[in-house]
Amino acid sequence: MAIVIERHRHIIDFILSSMLRRKGKNGALLLVYTLIVFILASVLFFTHALKREAALVLKEAPEIIVQRTLTGRYQTIPIAYSDRIREINGVISVRPRLWGYQYDSVFLANYTLMVPADNPPEPGSIDVGSAVSRMRGAYTGDIIAFPGHDGLAHTFTVRKVIDGESQLLTSDLILISEKDYRDFSGIPADQATDLALRVRNPREYATIAEKIIRMYPDTRPIVRSEIQRTYDAVFGWRSGLVIVIFSAMALAFVIFAWDKATGLSAEERREIGILKAIGWETSDILLMKFWEGTAISLTAFLAGTILAYAHVFLTSSALFAPVLKGWSTLYPTFRLTPFLDFGQVATLFFLTVVPYTITTIVPSWRAATIDPDAVMR
Amino acid sequence: MISTRDISKVFNAGQPNEFTALHGISLDVRFHETTVLKGPSGSGKTTLLGLMGCMARPSTGRIFLDEREITSLPERFLTEIRRSTFGFIFQQFNLIKGISALENVMAPAYPTGEKFSTLRSRALENLELFNLANRADARIEWLSGGEAQRVAIARALINNPSIIIADEPTAHLDTRLSHEFMGIMGDLKAKGTTIILASHDPIVYDSNLADRVVEMRDGQVVDGGTAP
Repeated sequence: MAIVIERHRHIIDFILSSMLRRKGKNGALLLVYTLIVFILASVLFFTHALKREAALVLKEAPEIIVQRTLTGRYQTIPIAYSDRIREINGVISVRPRLWGYQYDSVFLANYTLMVPADNPPEPGSIDVGSAVSRMRGAYTGDIIAFPGHDGLAHTFTVRKVIDGESQLLTSDLILISEKDYRDFSGIPADQATDLALRVRNPREYATIAEKIIRMYPDTRPIVRSEIQRTYDAVFGWRSGLVIVIFSAMALAFVIFAWDKATGLSAEERREIGILKAIGWETSDILLMKFWEGTAISLTAFLAGTILAYAHVFLTSSALFAPVLKGWSTLYPTFRLTPFLDFGQVATLFFLTVVPYTITTIVPSWRAATIDPDAVMR
Repeated sequence: MISTRDISKVFNAGQPNEFTALHGISLDVRFHETTVLKGPSGSGKTTLLGLMGCMARPSTGRIFLDEREITSLPERFLTEIRRSTFGFIFQQFNLIKGISALENVMAPAYPTGEKFSTLRSRALENLELFNLANRADARIEWLSGGEAQRVAIARALINNPSIIIADEPTAHLDTRLSHEFMGIMGDLKAKGTTIILASHDPIVYDSNLADRVVEMRDGQVVDGGTAP
């Protein structure tokens, strides 16, 4: 066993000093390879983190949301609708919700205002998300003002800054009392933004949705799984778009790597001949090429993955965010929750390291099987 | 003893450029002696050295190493014999550029999996033997012709071979370095190493070192084919 380890160690030592001889060529290869892994890993990490944020958002979301529409446009819904809907079999509870958006023209940001079901702030006070707090410089105990629907400034005391699990969920959030929200938004006392339904059995979602439409043809029930599917499709589509653009670059790299791997230079062939002549077997040459491919691809993989992790979770995907997020620039900035899916990293590994290593070994086979006396002739 | 029995070697067989380098050579090379293959370029010396050193197989005929038939052995076994029995010194030294003299000397022993520290100290001893210890870390391209040649000899000796095969070893050396080379070969012979040299340099084939000179021409032995 010790002999096998030493043999590998010798060969690795040899290829490392061999690679240092061709610093320019190997350095360029490593750089391009790292860049490819970086882009691929960034897209994967970012998309996955967004999907995960979306899943966090939806985790606590009601099973069915009922909205009212008028000529296809969204309207507030009468709270009275909830009485009949609650009587549908399978519906556990119906809660009228109050929420909406507030555009801040001074800070060029959109806030989400919401009346929470549990522990709402007292009238006159609000809870703010981290981005709102940061942008407005408002912390616990401070007083901030927002212009309401009537054009008048409404002042509130910050009760606390929300520190949620998902920044996507909470960064732009303002929690407000029902009374304040109705005053602020002008929504009448018998109306709500929408109705949130709790339904125990997922197999009943579709039936309940159908019954609601029959009961109130002006409503639009939205099932949670549909939202999840939409989120996945949107993020999946965006990442797919980036990958399609990126595939041209990846193809260029494959050609470059293939050329590098197959086009053994005369010098490299001569060296293989020398090594064979001085006592290396074909399997030793292939082992050397395997370690050479592994050294390059593994270094590129690790460097690319670490850079992508830093890019996505430390700089909030500064390079791809505009394409991948696709939200309005008014959306307050947020930082994604760092999360690493090992299955995803393993996939990335098998998509980058393994093909490269194989492409370096296979063409070397021909060169490795030359007669060692070739160097004597 | 290395014995060849009616061996011939054909390159590019069946191709328009087919070429027969050796025609039915039978030769016995005794251990602990120095045998010189003499002859002009193209006479087949290098091809014969390659076949005796297990670098290639003959097209026909058989080769015996210490009465063991080696012609039909698989590549792995031939490589093992080549690595453990033979040390090669090539005409153009065939050192690997860009890495140090020490790494070049150690390279033939890498596949053996010998402990690194043992291997390194033996390689340094070999370099020391040829007054090259201070050049151990120098890259090959920084060495003079004489130094490069001594590194090549040190490399040939790293696996303690019992047979040294040298192909035109003085072709790229001046007279002084050629005599120096023959002196080193003399020391190895004194230690019992078998030496097989191919050369058309009188310094080699006329030296006292040669126990036997085999003259070749056009792929055939024309003189000295049978042992004296």
